[in-house]
Parts: sequence; structure tokens; C-alpha cells
Amino acid sequence: MGMLFSYFKSLIGTREMRILILGLDGAGKTTILYRLQVGEVVTTIPTIGFNVEQVTYKNLKFQVWDLGGQTSIRPYWRCYYSNTDAIIYVVDSADKERIGISKDELVPMLREEELSDAILVVLANKQDIPGCMSLKEVHQALGLEALKNRTFQIFKTSAIKGEGLDMAMEWLANALKNRK
Amino acid sequence: MTDSKYFTTTKKGEIFELKSELNNDKKEKKKEAVKKVIASMTVGKDVSALFPDVVNCMQTDNLELKKLVYLYLMNYAKSQPDMAIMAVNTFVKDCEDPNPLIRALAVRTMGCIRVDKITEYLCEPLRKCLKDEDPYVRKTAAVCVAKLYDISSGLVEDQGFLEQLKELLSDSNPMVVANAVAALSEINESSPTGQPLVELSTNTINKLLTALNECTEWGQVFILDSLSNYTPRDEREAQSICERITPRLAHANAAVVLSAVKVLIKMMEILAGDTEFCNTLSKKLAPPLVTLLSSEPEVQYVALRNINLIVQKKPDILKHEMKVFFVKYNDPIYVKLEKLDIMIRLASQVNIAQVLSELKEYATEVDVDFVRKAVRAIGRCAIKVEPSAERCVATLLDLIQTKVNYVVQEAIVVIKDIFRKYPNKYESIISTLCENLDTLDEPEARASMVWIIGEYAERIDNADELLDSFLEGFGDENAQVQLQLLTAVVKLFLKRPQHTQGLVQHVLSLATQDSDNPDLRDRGFIYWRLLSTDPAAAKEVVLADKPLISEETDLLEPTLLDELICHISSLASVYHKPPTAFVEGRSAGIRKTLPARQGSDEGAGAGAAAAETTVIPNQESLIGDLLSMDINAPAPSAAAAPAAPLASNVDLLGGGLDVLLGGGSDIGGGGAVSAAAPTTTGLLGDIFGIPSAPTMYTPPKVIWLPAEKGKGMEIYGTFSRRSGQMAMEMTITNKAMQAMSGFAIQFNKNSFGITPCAPMNVPALQPGQNLEYSLPLNTTGPVQRMDPLMTLQIAIKNNVDVFYYACQIPIQILFGEDGTLDKRVFLTTWRDIPGANEVQYTLNDIKGNTDTVSNKMTLNNIFTIAKRNVEGQDMLYQSLKLTNNIWVLLELKLQPGVPTATLSLKSRSVEVAPYVFQAYESILKS
Repeated sequence: MGMLFSYFKSLIGTREMRILILGLDGAGKTTILYRLQVGEVVTTIPTIGFNVEQVTYKNLKFQVWDLGGQTSIRPYWRCYYSNTDAIIYVVDSADKERIGISKDELVPMLREEELSDAILVVLANKQDIPGCMSLKEVHQALGLEALKNRTFQIFKTSAIKGEGLDMAMEWLANALKNRK
Repeated sequence: MTDSKYFTTTKKGEIFELKSELNNDKKEKKKEAVKKVIASMTVGKDVSALFPDVVNCMQTDNLELKKLVYLYLMNYAKSQPDMAIMAVNTFVKDCEDPNPLIRALAVRTMGCIRVDKITEYLCEPLRKCLKDEDPYVRKTAAVCVAKLYDISSGLVEDQGFLEQLKELLSDSNPMVVANAVAALSEINESSPTGQPLVELSTNTINKLLTALNECTEWGQVFILDSLSNYTPRDEREAQSICERITPRLAHANAAVVLSAVKVLIKMMEILAGDTEFCNTLSKKLAPPLVTLLSSEPEVQYVALRNINLIVQKKPDILKHEMKVFFVKYNDPIYVKLEKLDIMIRLASQVNIAQVLSELKEYATEVDVDFVRKAVRAIGRCAIKVEPSAERCVATLLDLIQTKVNYVVQEAIVVIKDIFRKYPNKYESIISTLCENLDTLDEPEARASMVWIIGEYAERIDNADELLDSFLEGFGDENAQVQLQLLTAVVKLFLKRPQHTQGLVQHVLSLATQDSDNPDLRDRGFIYWRLLSTDPAAAKEVVLADKPLISEETDLLEPTLLDELICHISSLASVYHKPPTAFVEGRSAGIRKTLPARQGSDEGAGAGAAAAETTVIPNQESLIGDLLSMDINAPAPSAAAAPAAPLASNVDLLGGGLDVLLGGGSDIGGGGAVSAAAPTTTGLLGDIFGIPSAPTMYTPPKVIWLPAEKGKGMEIYGTFSRRSGQMAMEMTITNKAMQAMSGFAIQFNKNSFGITPCAPMNVPALQPGQNLEYSLPLNTTGPVQRMDPLMTLQIAIKNNVDVFYYACQIPIQILFGEDGTLDKRVFLTTWRDIPGANEVQYTLNDIKGNTDTVSNKMTLNNIFTIAKRNVEGQDMLYQSLKLTNNIWVLLELKLQPGVPTATLSLKSRSVEVAPYVFQAYESILKS
């Protein structure tokens, strides 16, 4: 039955993928969202709440939810977990102090049942800032090596300069296609 | 398997279904789902659990869906205040939407969401919308500022929204101006200080007047309402405002007309009264008001209620329009009654004939309520239009002849008022009234009739029989009739004491013994006491001249009228109550009043006139006032009464009545009366005596003079203070073998000048006898500082010898009743007194909490000025004042649950400190 259903799904292939962009405040989530959508950098203010936009990438339609990263908003992330296909977790690579907090938000989130099938993309953002953490350092700081049973990849990006996002989306699109 | 499974939800049901539909990918499905949610919300189902899911539908380009989600938000944001934050970003985005409808929708919804947590995030978008290029957005944003002010006034002031709002007053679009004005007046009204936050200047007034002609009708109402709160600088400005507003009187919308009338009346108040300008203006006011009466009944009623106020304030405006207030047969009753009221107010000698014939006509209609009012109206006309009183009375008599029961009763009620207004003029009709005695079945009519019989008892030959017949059913009568019967019988007795003693005694016993009504009982006791102590005084009290009724019956109190005039065209003017009386949740607000007139002599005249008229509020209290005895007037004789028994032996009750009772034991219940007499006096003692409320702590008596030192005279004593009177309480015992007499007492000079008010008046004391004696004291004696401070040396003399002894005065008897200080005065005084004058003391074994301590202290004239809680400790700031005007300030530090407390004392005369501490100790332990 499951096989049959997925067969039809791939045949129609138009179902919108639901993607959450999460991360601490000021990590660059909203900038990434609009970089993906309109391809340019927009001026953003802290997102008190959420943004949701349609993003088309390689004939795949994504419904991308960018949730605010403020401490007061983080508890409500869970309201958005259900039916999520992928999580883009954005980390400010230059913010060494709060990388621990970022980890503490990520780890329990990945334990949520609703997200057990979600693909995880970690973006080590703000690579343009000198002295920022390297990919490896971010990987280690988030404790990603401990992840099992999850399709995930980490990329270094700079949303301002537009570097690395393409690669990440390419990977994500393939991962979503191959998932089944 | 544990039982916890029963507590997990099964996740089925309507909400669950809606939830999944809301998360559907299809937009149409989503919209359908949101519609279902709104439908459930509307019928009162709780769909707040769907809050996150509905909010997630918020970012959409579909205007319909957006509106629905906004509707949901307005309703449930309050119940989900934390989650509401998720909507903020969408508002921010929508406020920048290219579609002005969406921008306005967003800013309006934001204003309706009353959640503290998110207001700060909404300031930025609001600021943008106030400067929006589209007037629709600006006008919506203006109202939003007023709403925000209601939630967080501080935020509005800090963010400079008030200034932005003021700028909008000069907006190019009249609707924006109107809304800005409406928002500003609302903000001004809710200003916590009562002071308007934004004052209108001449400049802005001009802009408002320009916008007035161009904006919608409701915009005009807003502008006119705020104009009515403006006080022009001078007469010229007032005149120009009037001129520019006058065209509004011709508007089709009744609200616009009434608001314009309000502004004009207010401006006329500022302009000097008799000018040509004012006269023309008042002439212009009449037609629009009359026109309002041709609309549908509901609008008519509102108009009439407002006209009722206007007629009271400016009778001249409508004085020639009497006819429009004549009642039409098909008017609803509420319109009829209101018209009737205005007719009476407009009645004058010129039109009284017309009015009376109308009223007489009304009195023959079928609607009972209306007929009653009409009859009453005739009475009111009689009181109001003096020269026509005769005609009114004749009309009433005509109506009585009809013998229609309710007409007769109503007529009797008003005739009673006419008797009071015109004493010794129409009493000839009493006989006609008495003919109808049997038909009276309503309490008010019966009470009025009884009052008339009592009042004119000397003219009614069979008054005693009439009253006696009423007394038969005394117990079944309504309370007001009972009260009247009691008073009437007492009046009768005072006027014709022969043959009526039985009657008065009967009614007194009925009132005091057989009644459960405390008012009746108290009045009975008072009469009894009056009659028994001093019949002359009773006569003065009971038969005192009553104040005349003023012609201005039922007039609103002038200050209230002025306030209501300022609220014309609002609910207040329909209720005839100030808004504060029925609007809840607002801070007291500013009470609007009419500005003082510039022609000041006239203002003074009006004030004097207002002071002269005795205002009688309404019919119910009128009858109460007419029929009860006036408590204030006979106060001196009443005060004298308790002292009377000592002085005179005229004891009507004890002597006269008791004899009667003793002799006439055949009179039913006579024995019971005499048996009850002692309790009666006991009760009266309570009424007249010292209040039994808790009083100041009086230390127990201690031995002052032992018998062996006083040659057989033993004195125990203490000091007390009750109701501001200090006294020395003594128990004097004669332990000698011979009688003692010739007592006298003298005090040595002392620190506070305490001295006896009167010489000691103690009768001879037989051997073995003891006597309680209380010697009143004052502090007018010679002062000399004693050591110890509170020592009082006393010499007491009797026929045996002179004895000397000394005692300690408890300082609390010197604490004055006026020892309370204003908080600020307390603070500054405390600071001013140097630290050297501060003394500390520790109190032990404190019982009770801070409040009981504070109450106990207050009873002893130690007043708590302020209370504060600092780190779990209760701080009481107290003050007291000694009879020699020394102030003592205290700070009492209590810790709940801890029996010790720290007392800090500051005073310029710090030597009293130990005695004050002693007083605290003893009061707390008492």
C-alpha cells in the first residue's frame, strides 16, 4: 500500500515540500528565505512570528516557513513540526558564545517524533565574517557526529554573498527526491 | 498497562478535523476550514485550541481568507496571549502591503488585539500607517492610537503618537481629521489625571471647522463633540464658532443636530446673555428641535429627553412651542410621559389655560399610568404657576367629582403638595376629600390623606374618628401609611389633647411593640420620649413650620444639569445621569461643566437663584420629606430633651399616661405597655447615651488612697478618655464608722495643665457604702513641669480631713482626636526633626497582625498615616498629638509571626518618649 501511494506521489510530483528554517535569532533565517525566493538580499528586521513563502527550485515546490528565533518564540516552533519534510537549521558561525544554546535547541528538536523522518540541512552561515568557526568546528559544536538514522548534511554558507546556498539546495532537492 | 491511557486524548472530534483541514495544502480547503472555525466561534463554541493553525493561514494573498483570520485573531488573541506573538510579523508585513485595504485592515486588527505582550512590536507599523499616503489607512490608524492608549497610555506618550495624532488634525482629508479628533477626545477623556492631554488651539479649531463641512455625518458628530469641549478665548471667537456651526442645525441626521445644539448652548453660556446675537441664536435653535419630534418615536424620545434638559437650562428657547409637546393619541407611552414632563416645565401664566384643558383631557383617557401622570401634572402646574393655582385646584376638584378611583387617589396625593405650597388657602376642600376616604386603596394616597388629616386636625371635627378608623387595620397598612398614622395621631394629640390620649397611646404601642419595622419603632420611641419629657418641645418639633415647597419641583440639581447639558446627544442625556454613574471601568474622568459666563454679574445672579430654590428631587423622596419630621430643624430641643428629666418633672408618660394606664386597665394591652416602659427607657438610653462603640483603652483602677491613710476613705482610680472628654474615674469607699460628706478636690500644677472641669459633686457617703464617680477634666489649668513628667498631685477633702496623694497620668488620655497628619507633612516633619530626637524601643508579646494593631491604635488616637511592606516587614507610620500641641511621630516595624516589634519615635519634645512607649505597651496588651 505504501509503495503504491508513493508511486502515485512521484508520478504527480507536485506536492509542496514543507520546509522549516530554524535557528537562533540573528542567524540569518529570513535573509536566507528571501535569498532563496527572490534571489537578492532584503533588509530584515527581527522576525516576531513567522514568514512563509513559496520557493521553487528545480521544478520542486517548497513551502518554506521561516520562524522567528527569539527566546520567546522558540517554544512555538513545535506547532509547526507536523508534516515537515525538511529542516534547514541555520547557525551563526561567528557567534561562538551561543553555539551551545543553538545545540541545546537542536538536539531535543531532533528527538521529536513528528520530525523523525525530516531531512536535516545545517547551514553554517555568516562564513564571510573573519574569524568565524569553520565547518568542522560547527559540526563538532552541534554534536552532529552523534546523529544516527537521519539524512543530514552540513554546508557553509554566506547568505549575504549568496555563497553555498545553491549547493545546499541542490543537495536537499536530491535528498527529497531520493527519499522513500 | 496503567490507567494513564484514560487521560490521553483520542485526538478525534470536530476540533481535530478542523485542524487537519486547516493544514490542508489546498487553499480552497483552507478557506472553507477557516470559515467553519469562524462559524463555530460565532455560535459560541470554543475554538481557541486552533489558534496556531489559524494563525498559520494568515500569510496569504487571499483577502477574504486574511479577513477571516483577522476576525479570529481579534476574538482569541486575548485567550492565547503568548501565542499571539506569532501573528506580529504578519501584521508588520501587511502594514507594508501595496494594497491600502490590507494595510488598513492590519492596523485596525492590531488595535483590536488587546494583548500587552505584543503591543510594543506594533508601534513601528502603526507609526508608518499614521504617515501612510492613503487617507483610508491614516484614518484607521488614528483610531488605533486611541485603542492603544487604552491598553498602554505610557507607550502612546513615549512613542510620540499624540503628536502624530495632533498633526493629523491638519490633514488634508476631512475624514482623517474627524477620526483624529475622535481619537483625541477619547484619549483626553480617559486621561488618568483628568486633565486633557491635548488642548485644542484656535488654529486647530479653525481646521476642524473647515473639515466640518466636508466630512461624513458621523465625522461631523465627532468634530462637534470635541468643539463642545473647547473654551474659546473671547466672545468674538465664540461668535464665529457659532456662526460656522449654525448650518449644521439643518442636517438630516438627528445626532448632528443635537451635537450642534450642544455646542451652541455651551457657547451661549460664554456669550453674555442678552445680546442681539444670543437672542437670534436661541430663535434659531427652536425649529431644529421641533423638527426632531417628527421623526420615529425612538428618536423622538431621545430628542425629548434632551429637550427636557434644554428646557430646564434655557426655558426661553422653546417657550412658544408648547403645542408641539401636546400628546398625540398614538404616541407610545414613553413619548407621552416625556412630553407631559416638558409641558409642565414650559407651563406659564400665558399658556396655562391651554395646558390645563389639555391635561384635563388626558385625565379622561384610558391608559391608567398616563392618566395618573396627567393628574399629577395638574398639581405640579398649580405649584409652579402661582397665579393659576386656583384654576388648577378647581380642575382637580372636577376630576375628584368623577369618582374614578385612581384619579381621586392621584388628586389627593397632589393636593397634599398644594396645601403645603399655599397654606391656609384651599383647606375648604378638605371636606370634599374626606368624602372619598373609603375609596383610597393605594398606600401613597392613604398616606397623603392621613397626613392631611393630621396636619389639619384642628379643622376636621371628626379627625379622631377618622384616624381611629385607620388604626383598626394598622398592622395591614403599608409602612409609609403606618408612619403617617403615627405622626398624624401625635399631631392630633398635641393639637387636641382632650379625648385623644387613648388614641395616642394605642398608636404608640402599635408602633413600638407590634411592629417589626425599625423606622416605625424608632419614630414611635422618639415621639414617646418627646411626649414624656417635654410636651412643649414635642409641639415645637412635631408641629414645626414646614419649609415651603419651591415651585421648581423636580428640577435637576443645577450642577448636574450643567454637566448633563455638556453631555447632550449622549446616553447620559437620555438617562439624565452623569456618565460616571453608569460607565464602568473608566477612571473617574473629568466631570464636564459649563464654562463660567463672561458677564460675571449674571453668573452670580444665577448662582444666587440656584441657591434659593429648594430642590425637591422626586416624588418618592418628596413624600418622605413632606411627611417625616425634619430632623435638622429641631436639633436644639432634641439635644435638650435628655437633660430635661433631671430639671423638670413634667413626665407626661410616666405621670399622665401611667396614671391613665393604671386607672384604665380595661384598655387592651395597657399592662403590656407599662411592663414595656422600662425597656423603652433602656432603649432610649442607648439611643441618646454614649455610643457603645469600642473606646479608648482605660487602665484598670489602682489604689490611690488606702483606707488607713485616708482615715477610712479609700480611693481606687484611673483616667479615661471618651469621645474627646478626659475624666478621672474613681471608686470612693467609706470604710469608716461615720458618714462622709463635703467632698472637694483640687489638683496641683502639673505638666499638662490638667484640672477638673467642675467641682466634685459627691453626695454624702454612708459607712460601708461605695460610689463610682467620674470627674471630667480639661487642660486649662496652670502648667508646671513635673518630675516624673506624668505625675499628678491631688488633694481631696471631706468633712474629716484633707488628704494628699499622687498618681501617674496615663499619657494616652492626652492624645487628641485630631492627631492625624497628612502623608507629606508627616514625611517632611519626620525629616525635619533632628536625629538626636529619635528614640527606639522594643515591644514584646505583640498579638494580632498589622491591621489589628493599627485599628487598636486608632481607637486610642494614635493614627496610622501610612503602611508599607519592606522586605517582609510591615512598617506603620503613626502620629499622635498631645493636648498641648506636641506632635509625636512614630514608626512601628512589625514582622508577621514575630512577637517583637521595633518602635522608633521622633518628637521635638522627646521626654514624652518613655510614656508613649508605656502607652503602646498597655494598649497592645489590652
